[in-house]
Amino acid sequence: MIQELTGAGFRVVALQRGPYLRAPDFVSDDELRTASLFSPEQIETWRPDANSPTQTGRFNFVAHCVGGTMAEWAGLSWRFRSDEFRVLSAEGPVPGANLADWPIDYEELEPYYERAEWEYGVAGDAAANPYGAPRRRGYPNPSVPDRTASLRLARGATRLGYRPFPAPMAINSRPYRGRPACTYGGACSGYGCPVGARGTPLSVSLPRAHTTGLLDLRPNSLAFQIELGRDGRARSVRYLDQERREEREVFARQIVVAGNAIGTPHLLLLSRSASFPDGLANSSGLVGRNLMFHVLVQVSFTIDEPALGFTGLENHRAIDDLHASDPRRGFIRGGVVTEVNFPHKQPLGYALLSHTDYGGGRRNWGGAFKEYLRKFPQVVAAAAVLEDLPMDENRIDLDPDVADAYGLPVPRITHRQHPNDLAMSAWYRARLLEIADAGGAVETWVPLEVTEEKPTKGGSHIHGTCRMGTDPSRSVVDRWCRSHDVPNLWIVDASVFPTSSGYNPTLTILANAFRVADHFVAEAKKGAL
Amino acid sequence: MPLTRRDFVARSAFYGSTFWLLWNVPRPLAFRAAQESGQRLVLTEDEWKLVEAITGRIIPTDHEPGAIEANCVNFIDKVLAYEDAYLKPTYYGGLPGVEAVSEERFGRPFVELGAEEQDAVLAVLESGDVPSWPSAQVAPEEFFEAVRVHTIIGFLADPSYGGNREYAGWKVVGYPGPRHALGGYSPEQMIGEQNIRTIWGEEV
Repeated sequence: MIQELTGAGFRVVALQRGPYLRAPDFVSDDELRTASLFSPEQIETWRPDANSPTQTGRFNFVAHCVGGTMAEWAGLSWRFRSDEFRVLSAEGPVPGANLADWPIDYEELEPYYERAEWEYGVAGDAAANPYGAPRRRGYPNPSVPDRTASLRLARGATRLGYRPFPAPMAINSRPYRGRPACTYGGACSGYGCPVGARGTPLSVSLPRAHTTGLLDLRPNSLAFQIELGRDGRARSVRYLDQERREEREVFARQIVVAGNAIGTPHLLLLSRSASFPDGLANSSGLVGRNLMFHVLVQVSFTIDEPALGFTGLENHRAIDDLHASDPRRGFIRGGVVTEVNFPHKQPLGYALLSHTDYGGGRRNWGGAFKEYLRKFPQVVAAAAVLEDLPMDENRIDLDPDVADAYGLPVPRITHRQHPNDLAMSAWYRARLLEIADAGGAVETWVPLEVTEEKPTKGGSHIHGTCRMGTDPSRSVVDRWCRSHDVPNLWIVDASVFPTSSGYNPTLTILANAFRVADHFVAEAKKGAL
Repeated sequence: MPLTRRDFVARSAFYGSTFWLLWNVPRPLAFRAAQESGQRLVLTEDEWKLVEAITGRIIPTDHEPGAIEANCVNFIDKVLAYEDAYLKPTYYGGLPGVEAVSEERFGRPFVELGAEEQDAVLAVLESGDVPSWPSAQVAPEEFFEAVRVHTIIGFLADPSYGGNREYAGWKVVGYPGPRHALGGYSPEQMIGEQNIRTIWGEEV
């Protein structure tokens, strides 16, 4: 939005919680700085349902810095398939879930997907994915090279009759539009890119917006209240200058919120007024509701040769044969499988995080543990990103008991699993184990799955909470991501997703932003804003 | 603002585990201290020997170096001097406990025990079931987990933090070091068709 609006001649003030980190801040692969670099102040609470006590912690992988979580994203760039925009029509109502169709369809988004792929330099092989959504144009860059781990996973998948293909990644496989090719340094997702080969706001859109001279970017600016004018329009944003510890206010004619599906409803719910006692733009009562993550299932295994997971990107190969919804499997919906190097891209992640899943009660010190450490280069992993169904009671609200470092109530996550999730998780677990076996697994373990005992508390894919729709009583924003209640308030992030799809969300967030920006600019030119 | 021990205990619960908290802490002051000197900053000579012996059982020496050769105790000394100073009470409460259990079980100080005896002492601490434990402030399993995680971080974090001496930890696990700043990897290296040059200049 910033790139498009400044490009169209609008003056934009951008408020971002946290610092403006740039390439020099990212040169180190130092594991002791990983998470604390991006969101040192992040606190959330979680509970499975309204009757349970909350836990306090950090459950979501988000980045409080300029560029947002894309500053450290993996780069997986999927187009949703057409049925992912009409889940209610495709499946019919499901008890306990709040399925919906999107007010837009794939055809409307297709040109914007293309736009996003070309702006961010997606590397891929469109012809190699037998299940990809129809497209008018291929990817701008050839697919990224494999590592041994991805080849071994692909070998296993092929033996089972699946058709693995290079994952589409918004990471330069060759120099592209003034940005260098990736050096395949291994510590990718979770780290900032030291060379700007990864397509992010830091490398793509903000440099362009800066050249217009129309962007007033204010890092370390924590927005905590959108003020409403007497005319019912959003008037200003109050924010905390985090460096000076001063409150400030910025006035604007149009206000766009893009704080991710937790930060956005958090800000709206904080913005209470006489007209909106339950939070701004919340006449539907749906702000914060229908929170969706993804059902994540991961199987890790060792092979009899170096898999070299410490090289390359987060993901190299994908398998989409298991994605299509099939109720005969005992659940609806599904998702994509990719080869991943989390958390074994670096030794500490492997030693500490991965071992808790590998262990199964095995001793996490001593000679046996040292043997485990020696398997670090041999690890391959396959992860499934699966559709999480929207549920009314799964939501973000303001925690009445826990405040952050600034005294603001923290976002409280209420999220429990639909029975569909549990059946889906178990089914994919079994399929991934088969792929591991077929890929020559020596030892196998399951770092991620969703069961009654292991519910999802967060993730890096956060959706819902301000759903897009045509009926103002059943959605928060309209098809142009404009609030039904407040005409100059826009929400342009995955909050507006009515359903969560079986793909990583970022390319769809970008494509939708290009679509909304086109509309914004056209309406502004007509004087209709 | 430095953490207090109370914060630590509370936040460990928040984060679900001690290691998650300890892992994701930047330690620039410990880093600088380790660059300046290998001298003891916090631990006394006896404490140093005792901590070193414990680390030696967390990651034992076999045909390859372990935590002792990697100088994990030096890492622990440096972080206790700075960013992890809030854990000093955990160590000061725990170390006499180690000696108490060693004396009770085997009649000798920990550093004089054989490897199996030392492991038996640590397993008792890990279990948390230690009737003779002398510290009211620090639980035995809490102390053990702090030393365990510190040892692993010392073994595998960048050598600049004072452990992982001569890249001992990275050599054991087969990690060539962070190559991002050194140009990353070639496509041939990513599939094992070309040697990888470690950051310490070895071809593997």
